[in-house]
Amino acid sequence: MARVVLAPALARWLPDAGDGEIVLDVPGDSVGAVLDGVFARHPVLRAYVLDERGAVRHHVALFADGRSLARKTHLDHPLRPGSELHVLQALSGG
Amino acid sequence: MSDRILASTRKGLFVLERGAAGWAIARTCFLGDNVAFCLADPRDGAWFAALDLGHFGCKLQRSGDGGATWQELPVPAFGPDDEVVTGDGKPPQPATLRLLWTLAAGGPDQPGRLWAGTIPGGLFRSDDGGQSWQLMRGLWDRAERKEWFGGGYDSPGIHSICVDPRDPRRVRIGISTGGVWRTDDDGDIWTLTASGMFAAYLPAERRLEPNLQDVHRLVQCRAAPDALWVQHHNGVFRSTDGGASWREVAAVQPSVFGFAVAVHPREPDTAWFVPAVKDERRVPVDGHLVVARTRDGGASFTVLDAGLPETPAFDLVYRHGLAIDATGARLAFASTTGGAWVSEDGGDHWHAVPARLPPVLAMTFA
Repeated sequence: MARVVLAPALARWLPDAGDGEIVLDVPGDSVGAVLDGVFARHPVLRAYVLDERGAVRHHVALFADGRSLARKTHLDHPLRPGSELHVLQALSGG
Repeated sequence: MSDRILASTRKGLFVLERGAAGWAIARTCFLGDNVAFCLADPRDGAWFAALDLGHFGCKLQRSGDGGATWQELPVPAFGPDDEVVTGDGKPPQPATLRLLWTLAAGGPDQPGRLWAGTIPGGLFRSDDGGQSWQLMRGLWDRAERKEWFGGGYDSPGIHSICVDPRDPRRVRIGISTGGVWRTDDDGDIWTLTASGMFAAYLPAERRLEPNLQDVHRLVQCRAAPDALWVQHHNGVFRSTDGGASWREVAAVQPSVFGFAVAVHPREPDTAWFVPAVKDERRVPVDGHLVVARTRDGGASFTVLDAGLPETPAFDLVYRHGLAIDATGARLAFASTTGGAWVSEDGGDHWHAVPARLPPVLAMTFA
């Protein structure tokens, strides 16, 4: 079970979302498996995090236990029980 | 006559309404988000908003209650093997949706039909109100498509969709940069119809190629659908035969460059433009924001500025930033510096909407 933290800018697109971040406990032993669990719970989020080819969007950043995932397409990065996965948007644009 | 305008802006959708005291902001939706375009479906009054969220991609939202609530719909998607190949030497790229640039409603007898024009150059059709989308492969798979290239964007884009009021199976589209194309069979077979346009900026031997024309905006007269107007990168072109041939309209004052054009829904010879200094500057000529109107098919133009800024103005009006309502009684335009103006007498007099909006991308009467 990993703990997934969705940044407010992403979480606000969920129905009935508030203003803050959303924390979910999701089973899975890899980034991809955990994200699939998030998307199963909130299908609308898939297209916000991944593009239509399944790659993490260019301006979306994933941090696993505090370390950014350098290769955005490497969804097989392992997570251990209690890992924290942060999903946030890069601070670009204006 | 329409008393409502949807202003799609860099920072939200602003619903402008005409009340006793004039035009004002009645509602704000998606404040802070980039709204690229809005469609008000004349068949059932639904609104569709194309959002360009940047970090999180392009999104589509629908409201059936005048913007009080919105529901997210799927966006068009390219297939895993689709590639963007362009004629300007850029390396091929995987095709992913970069911008949902324009939306159009099908005919009255085509419930649920919507059209979507995108960057990178895909035209999509929905027959279920936007619940699913099909790429029009009859166009996408054409060899000519690989000669298209981006105008202001990295990839080519479809920004104008004209559904023929006589037969909604016939659709014309404008592409930057890829000319004008027509289908007569719901999007299966396509014909390139930009003969007569020229691209002054291309090498001489390629200037007349219909497929390379940088169409900034294509509009069609509702009552006389063979009358088409194009604001092109290096001028204005007009067709009176449904696009089979085009001729240059060189008399536009104060310049022939611009993005927007509107045609009167009942008077095919009457059209409006918002000219600017040509491509490398893209500001009003001499810092004076004006609208150019012809009532004689482009033979002559009147420069209209009553009610427009008297102080220096550097507003640029994008291709979807000029709109005319279904009756022809009202015109509206808005700029990248957030000014918005409405005319109720064909452009003779303009009234500023009392608001400083975010940069405006599109104006839609609803």
